[in-house]
Amino acid sequence: MNGETLGDIVRSFSGDHNVLVTQSAILSVDHLQKQAEDLYRRSSVTSRSRIALCGLSPSDFITSLVAFDGRVDAMLFLPASLDDISKERLAASAGCTHYIDTENIVEVSRGLEECRSSEADATQWLLPTSGTTGRPKLIGHTLASLSCSVKRDTEKGRCFVWGLLYDPSCFAGIQVVLQALYSGSLLHVSESVDFESQIEGFVQNHVNALSATPSLWRKLLMDGRIKACRLRQITLGGEIADQHILDGLKRHFNGARIVHIYASTEAGTAFSVHDGRAGFPAIWIQNKSGPLPLSIRGDGHLLVKPPILSDGLEIVQRLDSDGYLDTEDMVRVEGDRVIFLGRASGAINVGGNKVAPEYIESHIRAVNGVVDVRVFGKKSSMIGQIVAAEIVPHPGLEVKRLRGEILHYCRVNMESWQTPGIVSFVHELKENSAGKRERLT
Amino acid sequence: MSEKLIMKEKIINIIIEIASESGWDILTNLNDDTVLLESGLDSLGFATLVARLEEELLYDPFSMMDEPVYPRTLGEFVKIYEQYAS
Repeated sequence: MNGETLGDIVRSFSGDHNVLVTQSAILSVDHLQKQAEDLYRRSSVTSRSRIALCGLSPSDFITSLVAFDGRVDAMLFLPASLDDISKERLAASAGCTHYIDTENIVEVSRGLEECRSSEADATQWLLPTSGTTGRPKLIGHTLASLSCSVKRDTEKGRCFVWGLLYDPSCFAGIQVVLQALYSGSLLHVSESVDFESQIEGFVQNHVNALSATPSLWRKLLMDGRIKACRLRQITLGGEIADQHILDGLKRHFNGARIVHIYASTEAGTAFSVHDGRAGFPAIWIQNKSGPLPLSIRGDGHLLVKPPILSDGLEIVQRLDSDGYLDTEDMVRVEGDRVIFLGRASGAINVGGNKVAPEYIESHIRAVNGVVDVRVFGKKSSMIGQIVAAEIVPHPGLEVKRLRGEILHYCRVNMESWQTPGIVSFVHELKENSAGKRERLT
Repeated sequence: MSEKLIMKEKIINIIIEIASESGWDILTNLNDDTVLLESGLDSLGFATLVARLEEELLYDPFSMMDEPVYPRTLGEFVKIYEQYAS
């Protein structure tokens, strides 16, 4: 296989250079390489193998990336939080030959492996999208497409200790891992996803660079302990960063470089903004002086032209004849800024988790006593948006009881962030002039 | 009953309501010193609390602030709502 691999990146540093720190250990380049080689030998994979990595701890996950990038045909990342049916479906659709989880390395299919070409340029990194309809789809990247916006300044990088708050197998988590590895920064990873131990680890290890969603940043500021870390690099992504959170961070971490990133699993990292203001400069669109070609379509959709596009039908369907990708994000020019308004589809973004209102409506309609329902995103000063539902009940029903039944049904059948936080009862639902259900807050 | 007690009681009642609907265990003795993120509500629960208070009081102080403040305790949270009442 051709091209730079993650192993090459790690080996470009001296053997005693420290790469990872957990609650119990510090891993140098030599340690990480040895663990990666052991894993590679135990796995008996070939360059034609397609492996699924499922629910590994952050340090095992990073070891796997170093072990397999450039040596297998594809790696599929399955977060532990995904249900078993989705995991099986995604592994089958990715044609996985091996399944690696916290306990085992299992070879699941050889037939497919024999059909594959070993001439592929680079290992595919397959990421499930967040799946607003409850069915995640796969987006194909490579190390090159995922690292195109990663800084490689090792002199600056050595001064940073990054903390990892995200699941390392999601797009935002991979960005943090690659940023630390490429620039030679130490990366603190917690062996537990528990918020308490993550914060303790950050404080103990003097983390000074952290990436999180605006919602997570609000939680960190409320908790307060993060203020003990002398943060020099603050990154926000995954949701719209409003002026309040940018100002709050600036006030608490005076002198820190605050960056909000516009990225998606599909488009990769499109651009970053570091002037401390919400949105991005309108001049980037007007005189095409932006970090990449950007445009606003007549209907308010933001279009971008990333230097490297990920693979998949999902992407092809969203490209126009000039090669611009429809981000499906709605924007508006306000003075000298372009401000983000939300998803064109009406998808609700709850603290970085996206869900289609229709998906929640279909669940709520299954509850006895519900005649009709409208689900929409209600703006939240805490986590971007929360799910709100207007319900038309059967006449004569006691709405307090129906409310309890709806919430119980949602709790059993959906994720907690998909359950409506606001439920109200109405006589009828309003449609807009086009006969569509109004979903603006 | 003073306005302060009325506001505090209103907030505690909504916290209890959200926890009961969501099946969360919350502290039984919620008081001014209770650390919000240790009360049993997670950040989603806390966002729901702010949204429900907005439905009832018709204001969200966190979207009205010039200088953003992130309260740590229940007492600080109640105080913010009192400041922005009227």
